[in-house]
Amino acid sequence: MYAASRRNLKLTSNTPDKKRTVAEINEKIRNGDVQVLTISEMKDLVESSGVEVAFKEVDVVTTGTMGAMCSSGALINVGHADPPIKIDKAWINDVPIPHPGAAVDLYIGATIGSETRGFEYGGGHVIEDLIAGKEVELRATAYGTDCYPRTRVETTLTKDDLNQFILLNFRNGYQRYATAVNGRDEAIYTYMGKLLPNFRNATYSGAGELNPLCNDPDYETIGLGTRIFLGGGTGYIIGEGTQHNPKAALGTIMVKGDAKQMTPEYIRGATFSEYGSTIYIGYGVPIPILNEGIVKKVAIRDEDIPSDIVDYGIPRLNKGTLGTTNYKELKTGRVNVNGKSVKVTSVSSLKHAYKICEELKDWIQEAKFYLTKPVETLPTDTVFKPMKVTTETRFVESLIGEAVTCTEDEDVKAVAKRLVEESVNQAIVVDSANELKGIVTAWDITRSVANGNKRLEDIIVRRVYTARLHEPLETASKRMADHDISALPVVDKGNKVLGILTSDAISRLVGGGATG
Amino acid sequence: MLLRFSRQIVDQPITSQIILEKKTPINILSARMNQLGGEILAEIPGDKAQEVIKAFKSKGVIVDVASLIEKDDDLCIDCGACISLCPMDALGFTEDKSVTLDAKKCNGATCGLCVDACTRRALRLLS
Ligand code: SF4
Ligand code: SF4
Repeated sequence: MYAASRRNLKLTSNTPDKKRTVAEINEKIRNGDVQVLTISEMKDLVESSGVEVAFKEVDVVTTGTMGAMCSSGALINVGHADPPIKIDKAWINDVPIPHPGAAVDLYIGATIGSETRGFEYGGGHVIEDLIAGKEVELRATAYGTDCYPRTRVETTLTKDDLNQFILLNFRNGYQRYATAVNGRDEAIYTYMGKLLPNFRNATYSGAGELNPLCNDPDYETIGLGTRIFLGGGTGYIIGEGTQHNPKAALGTIMVKGDAKQMTPEYIRGATFSEYGSTIYIGYGVPIPILNEGIVKKVAIRDEDIPSDIVDYGIPRLNKGTLGTTNYKELKTGRVNVNGKSVKVTSVSSLKHAYKICEELKDWIQEAKFYLTKPVETLPTDTVFKPMKVTTETRFVESLIGEAVTCTEDEDVKAVAKRLVEESVNQAIVVDSANELKGIVTAWDITRSVANGNKRLEDIIVRRVYTARLHEPLETASKRMADHDISALPVVDKGNKVLGILTSDAISRLVGGGATG
Repeated sequence: MLLRFSRQIVDQPITSQIILEKKTPINILSARMNQLGGEILAEIPGDKAQEVIKAFKSKGVIVDVASLIEKDDDLCIDCGACISLCPMDALGFTEDKSVTLDAKKCNGATCGLCVDACTRRALRLLS
């Protein structure tokens, strides 16, 4: 734990204007008298002793996080073979490896799945295996040129065989993130993990008050050139990450680091079932305590970091929110969703976040790590736009048809007659308030007549798959195909029937599109 | 545990009888029943488990005691993605935020909800 030395206290109190520079801090690191606290220790100190004391006593705080960060990968240079090859297609352990540059520069994308093992093994796992010192199999083909005559190569490689092995991630470390739930009546598999139906669980991501960007929300000390802990080695922030959205307090960073120095403890391949493969990245940022303003910022607590509760069951870009929670509530393991308390857990590793803060603190105290002043801090005014889509997306509302309905107490014969008159295949069963109670198909009726069954209530199918008005046609037709059914009642939030979507209507649209 | 009821006994109120006789709560996680028989996935308090299983068996119910779930700590990265799925609180954090599996609480193969939620394939069914 932390203990301020007298000598150090005197030194810092001599600092004029209550300011401190990165150069001064580095000097202290060199002299072995730098005062470093993990971000958690610093928050406690500010709380117990106040901003002024914390500023005087502390030079640097260490932050950290470790989570699934899909927009990651590693740049490798595999060297030239004899005769040389200009790689056209490449695979490592059967994972396709893009080659966005010249002959033997490859980029291992974390989310690309193996051609033989699918999501179970992907680029993230390749990177982990290489970092762990394992041998991987490279296979490459080429069309052959005058200067690069070779057309095939197969070899095994370890990280020692690579000229460069650079972790190069274009978006890491979201400042904070949404809390995911699922309002559908089936489990769904997302990048936020497995979500049980009817809001039965919730997941969140991020380390909350340990997260680097949360503790420097105006990016006063963080930017291009900031030296960081990356995957157990040193790395650098090389700018804002893609989708950096500072105005919404959703900043991101782009990072690079020598992967040969890293350890698999902080770089792990992973699989989100039915979603894809990815990689867990652990990184930590030292925040220099340059002034009292920074002390106030790093004092932020979990309860001050909000997270929107979002229904990932809604297959639209704008899912709206069901409410807002904060990281303090999330870390208790239960969150209130629609007035109900449900179990919630993180998909990021809090344990590793703490470990990174500790490890980076040790590095600085042992003078193994010096701070840098960024050449340019992260932008605070960029905006994050949605995709401009020039082709039309169709939604259920554009194809909804009028539903033929009946009530449970009706006679089978009467319903059969209605189906014939309206020439439809199914009637939706509703109650007096038009709420969905089930569905009966012409086939159910035929079978019941054959069995001498006259009561409608005995043949109603009560487990009904439904569609929503603003749902894309694509997801609704996938639901029909998945469950081998030909129609979906369209319902509103209160389960009231608005109409019906039939596979016939979809086929007509597709058919019409082809001829028209 | 998974309780299987044959056609002959499915119409008897066996579960409620046992709840009353053994004075133990039985939490029904899911049930599928019709005239031809059915299955109930249920959890029972650990201390009464043996007694309750015996009672069900004596009434002709086939009891499938869960095969267990195993967690490989070397693979696990303590992300916690599995915890919120567990209806039994068998998965949880220790004080240092390591994720642990308490096999005694786990319903094993009859549940298995966490297995495909594990991002590291660290959770496996023991057969
Ligand atoms: S199988 Fe997994 S989710 Fe189910 S009870 Fe056991 S630990 Fe919990
Ligand atoms: S999901 Fe898997 S890796 Fe993550 S904590 Fe659970 S067992 Fe460990």
